Order: sequence, then structure tokens, then C-alpha cells
Amino acid sequence: MHGSAPDPLIARVADALRRPAPLTPDFDVRVMVAVRQAPPPLPLRAWTWLREPRVMAVSPLSGLAMAAGLAGILLVGAVGRQPSAVSRQEAVSRQPSAVSGGAAASVTFVFVAPAARSVALSGDFNDWDASRVLMRREASGLWTVDVPLTPGRYRYVFVVDGRRFVADPAAPRAVGDDFGTPTSVVTIGGGGTRAAGGSL
Amino acid sequence: MNARPLMLALLSGALMLPQAARAQTQRLAGRLPEHARAEVAALIDSARGEGLPADPLVNKALEGASKGADGARIVAAVRALASGLARARAILGAGATEPELVAGAAALRAGAPSVFVERLRRDYPREPLVVPLAVMADLVARGVPADTAAQSVLALVRAGVREAELVAFRQSVERDIALGAPAGAAAAIRVNAAERDLGATALLPGQVPPRPRKP
Repeated sequence: MHGSAPDPLIARVADALRRPAPLTPDFDVRVMVAVRQAPPPLPLRAWTWLREPRVMAVSPLSGLAMAAGLAGILLVGAVGRQPSAVSRQEAVSRQPSAVSGGAAASVTFVFVAPAARSVALSGDFNDWDASRVLMRREASGLWTVDVPLTPGRYRYVFVVDGRRFVADPAAPRAVGDDFGTPTSVVTIGGGGTRAAGGSL
Repeated sequence: MNARPLMLALLSGALMLPQAARAQTQRLAGRLPEHARAEVAALIDSARGEGLPADPLVNKALEGASKGADGARIVAAVRALASGLARARAILGAGATEPELVAGAAALRAGAPSVFVERLRRDYPREPLVVPLAVMADLVARGVPADTAAQSVLALVRAGVREAELVAFRQSVERDIALGAPAGAAAAIRVNAAERDLGATALLPGQVPPRPRKP
């Protein structure tokens, strides 16, 4: 390029490009209007939507329903936190709790075993057959199952990973250990009360 | 009066009894070694002949099988339970329910003085005694001396506590023991407190004990 004369065509184009473009007086205003009208980025839109005040129409009945739902959620949360008081690493449970339903009471057995792969319930109420009552794993290694029981006194154990018999730490032990492993007892009273590990 | 329906009912009842018995012993099939199963079946038949419930005996045998106990140990455990049930029935009476007999056998095995069980039945002939007997056995299992446990439960039942309150009492004693209290003292203190709360007073000789409140 050095030492050679510029091409006249290129020189004309360059001159044209060097000339400032004419701007109308309302150019700035039009640019700012366009900027304001452009949609904001998604996170900003969401934040704006959340902050904008709104008027919501709610009937008294819906309001009560929402309040009851909120109370229910708080209650479930409170109940769900209870096991943390007993959530030691292994073999921890809450005492079985019974809800009376006529002659039979629905008894909830709870066992905490975060490291277990399976937990079953075996006792007088299922012919000591662990395969019949498998417990459900809930959050944080909590295992639960509901069993309908008529009034009476029942012996039971938790069967961990299909081979380890563990007595319920939250329930009374059965007096006398006939077979070399501790056993728990739960007693259901006449009114569906749970009394033993227990009874009533 | 037409005796035909009554005869039919009696006949069907007589036909169903052996079926029920067969169903109970069939629960043992495949779970126990053959020689142990035969011995356990004989014990169950014998107990049934004495009017004792068979289900608790079948359950005991199945518990042993589930825990991998050998046949001799299972037979011994079933025999001991049959003996315990017979003893409980002798004290609680022929009208005792199966759950009462099971709870009574557990309480007696725990060391409850038979006089306590007798008194409980005598004072409350028509009330279900499953929970009082169970709580008594549970207290002994937690280390409360048998006499103290028996007297505590009897005192509370006489004071008119509900089943749920009896269980709450047991749980309080367990908590106290877990916190380091001597077991006997924990039970005695809790009984005194409960009696005070209920305004209970000692029974005079010949005084009719109050009926327990419904749960």
C-alpha cells in the first residue's frame, strides 16, 4: 500500500463515511423511548412482577380454607420435626402411636435407621413374617408403617436389611427373652389407647 | 318351638371348631422343623383342650422360628407360655379374655405377686385388665421392683385413673429412670403425685373401690 496512489473510488467512499451523519433534533428522545419500550431481561421482569402491589379478591370461605391449609402445613412441619429429638444415628424410633378406629386401632410404628436399605416389622400380628409388613422410607432415614391392631398385647421387632433383629428403642422390652434377642411390646387398650411401648 | 335352627347352629359351630384349630396349626407348616412342629402342635392341642387360647402359643412358636431358634428351644418356650397362660387363667378366672390372659401371663412372669392380680380381678370383675397388667409388666421390665410396680398400678386403678393416664404414668416413670432416678423411687413418687392430683384416698376395709373411668 505504501508508495502507491489511492484509488479514486475508494477515496470517495472513505470521504462519504467520514462525514458525520445528520441527526434530527428529537434523536435522543426517540432513542430513550425505544430503550424504555424494550422488554427487560427475565430475572428483572420476575422481580418487578413480585414487587408490584396487587388487589386480590378472596371470598371469606376461601380465606378460611387457606388459613386452615396453612395451619395444617405448620402442624405437619411441627410433627415432622419431632423425630429429630430422637434421631440418633441408628436404631431410634418413636413409641408406636395408636388411633382408635372401632375395634381395631391403627398403630403407627416409627424407626430411624438412615443407613438401612430395608426395614420390616415382624411380630405377633403378622405371624412373625417380616415379608408381610415392609416399612416405608420417609425423609432423613425415617421408616414408618401403620398396622391395624385390636386390643391386646403384641410382641414385635424391627428387621433391618432382612437379617438384623432390633428391638424398638422407644418401646418397653418384653419380659423374658426366650430366643436370645430383645423384643418390644405394644399393648392396645379397650378404648384404642396405647399402653406399653406401648400400652394403650 | 322349632329346634331345627338351633341344631343347625350347633352343628355348624361344631364343624367350624376343628377347622379353626386346623387353621391355627397350619400356620406352623413350613416354618418349624418337623419334629418341633409335631411337639408344638401337641402342646397347642392340649392347651386348647384346657380351654386356653391357642393363638399366643402359635405366635410364640413362629417368633422362635423367625429368630432362627432351634426346635428344642421353641418347644420349651411354647410350653412355658402355656403354663403361664394356665396360671393367669386360674387367677383371672374362666371368663378372662385372651388379651387379659396374655397380659396376665406377662405380668406374672415379670414377677407380679399373684395376690395383686387376684385383687385386681376381684375388685374389677367386669373391667378389662389388659392395660393395668401390661403396665405392671412394663414397669418391671424397666427395673421397678415387682412389688412396687404391682402396688403402684393397683393404687392408680383404685384411684380411678383412665387407661391413657396409666400409660402416661408409666411413661413418666420411664423418663425419671432415664434421667437417673432409682426405679422404685420413681414409681412411688409418681404414684403419690397422681393420687394427690386425683384426690384419691386410701380405701378403708370393706369399702367398695371406685370403677375405673372409661378411657
